[in-house]
Amino acid sequence: MSDRSQLIETGKPFAFDAQRDAEFERLAKRYPTRESLILPSLWLVQEQEGWISAEAMAYIADRIGTFATMVYEAATFYTMYNLQPKGKYHICVCRTLSCYLLGKQEIVDYLQRELGIKPGAVSADGQYSLEEVECLGHCGSAPVVQINGEFYEYMTVDKLKELLATLK
Amino acid sequence: MADKVKLFVNGQEVEVESGKNLIDAIGAVGIEIPHLCYHPALGADGNCRMCLVGIEDGRPPLVPACKTRAAEGMKVQLDTDKIKKIQRDIMELELINHPIDCPICDQAGECKLQDYYMKYDGQKSRMTVKPVLKAKKMDFGCGVVHDQERCVLCARCVRFTRLITKTGELGIVNRTDYARVNIFPGRPLANRYALNVVDLCPVGAMTSADFRFKQRSWFLTKSKGICRGCSKGCNIFIDHNREKYKDDVIYRFRPRLNEKVNGYFMCDAGRMTYKQENDNRLTVALLDGKETGLNEAVEALRRAVSQAKKIVCVISPNNSLEQMFAIQKFAANCNAAVSGYSDGYVIAGDGDDFLIQDDKSANRASFALLGIDASKAGFDAAVNGADLLICFQNDLSLSLTADALNALAGNCKLAYLGSNMDACAEKAAIALPVASATEDAGTLVNVDSILQQYAVAVVKNTPAFDMIHVVSQLGGEIKNCFEARAGLTAAVAALKGIDLEQVPGEGLALTVSEVPNVAA
Repeated sequence: MSDRSQLIETGKPFAFDAQRDAEFERLAKRYPTRESLILPSLWLVQEQEGWISAEAMAYIADRIGTFATMVYEAATFYTMYNLQPKGKYHICVCRTLSCYLLGKQEIVDYLQRELGIKPGAVSADGQYSLEEVECLGHCGSAPVVQINGEFYEYMTVDKLKELLATLK
Repeated sequence: MADKVKLFVNGQEVEVESGKNLIDAIGAVGIEIPHLCYHPALGADGNCRMCLVGIEDGRPPLVPACKTRAAEGMKVQLDTDKIKKIQRDIMELELINHPIDCPICDQAGECKLQDYYMKYDGQKSRMTVKPVLKAKKMDFGCGVVHDQERCVLCARCVRFTRLITKTGELGIVNRTDYARVNIFPGRPLANRYALNVVDLCPVGAMTSADFRFKQRSWFLTKSKGICRGCSKGCNIFIDHNREKYKDDVIYRFRPRLNEKVNGYFMCDAGRMTYKQENDNRLTVALLDGKETGLNEAVEALRRAVSQAKKIVCVISPNNSLEQMFAIQKFAANCNAAVSGYSDGYVIAGDGDDFLIQDDKSANRASFALLGIDASKAGFDAAVNGADLLICFQNDLSLSLTADALNALAGNCKLAYLGSNMDACAEKAAIALPVASATEDAGTLVNVDSILQQYAVAVVKNTPAFDMIHVVSQLGGEIKNCFEARAGLTAAVAALKGIDLEQVPGEGLALTVSEVPNVAA
């Protein structure tokens, strides 16, 4: 977990493409209040761009008709939303209780050393990004690492070494 | 009066209003329940957990007092070891990442965190890890400066912008100990009530750029007053201080609770009107722009009054009811016409449906009570052929073009009684200084016909005479405020039976009379 409140501005206006636009309109009918569209809209942006810029948040807020700060709050609260462009391999390490107790710090330390980046950063070659995230819901098989959405359970530094080798 | 219920606080029986939550109900009888996030105007949020109390009736062992209504026979526990420990724990939690920079914090002296630490905590910090660092002196717009490190995340400011102004500029971003209040990039505070977040903030996270580092709060004398920024008449605290070897200066206006007028809030423009009381004051009498003794200038005006063939007294909609009455009597004695012409004080369309009114004067409603004509036609007829025009605080430069005012000043002698060196005072052949609104006492009637009074708040090292006194020196029959009040109750139908010396603090709603009094 880190400070996620520094949004990146692309300097270009954002808009949904035709497919996401249609999906947004479909979802709009599903919820009793427009505010409920904040989370799915953020997912749509992430699907489209891979990450969520300040312009995209403002676009969503105006499209939904809510305050930009409401979107800002939700986007910075949930670590699953990427607020900056991610590496080719986006590595998430769970930092919540079970994973914490079963040694997530060793894994994070190893990755920091190996990739040369701190949690929240992207490597210079754009290959890797590292993030510490809140509970991924796999407490039974802690510690858990997630790479581009795939789960890797019962992680150790040795297993991670093997795994990283396959990514290159 | 609301129904009363009896309940027990720490075993002691108290009678409180029913229907209110425990913080308000028990607070009304002088027993404090510490709280950070609850505010009567913003409702219960229940996020700070500082107001947890025990209630012995089988319900869960602890409940937030802000969300619990007072009920008959309730046994509220505030002083058990368990509650005290919770209060200490919450305080410790709030202080983990707090910079504890009280010596340079504007809120010191009126800070809930400081007060509660002294009262409910008092422990040394056990923190050995580095605190989370956040942003400081952020410019949030509208003169609000934010310090994220001092924030306790009570969300009062956030709720204010969402519930009251409905502009939603603020939000709490991130989570856990990284959570902080922020604006969305490029969308700063942009509403006309923004500075209320400074008052709402229980700690020093929200500060006013205007007031920052000007005064320590404990040096300020907090006098009651009424804002004159518009015809709403918001109740205020006038925070002023006389520093050693200096004069009494006002440092800020803050809203003061009056449910019938302004609630807990006031607008930013009204808040800044304190500057008029400090700056650009007319402190000496002027004869043709040259400084002169007050007696000499009064004598000059008295002579002008006795020699003039046609006099016009121009009353300001900012004059108090008493002042208007005294001027009216004076005008009647010297056969002068009276006008309240002041169209320039009204900015059409500027008002909103909350507090701000179009009319930027405080007491126009009193014109109707006293039968003072404020029309342009009436003014034109009055000044036609007049050779002496006396403006009582009425800055005609607001209502007339510069050319029209120059022409007027050329045709007749222009005299001015006022507290500020405004354009009208500059043009006047005779200008007499009088006490300003915060240096005088009086009565105002607001746009909703609520009559309110204010007392002398600020006493300057060399106090200016009040308007009524100066008018009496010019030959007015009313010598002071008390005489004016006695005269008003006798002469004005709408004020019959009202004791103007005993007006309640929250004001009196006048029943507006259809027939304005024209006896004077």
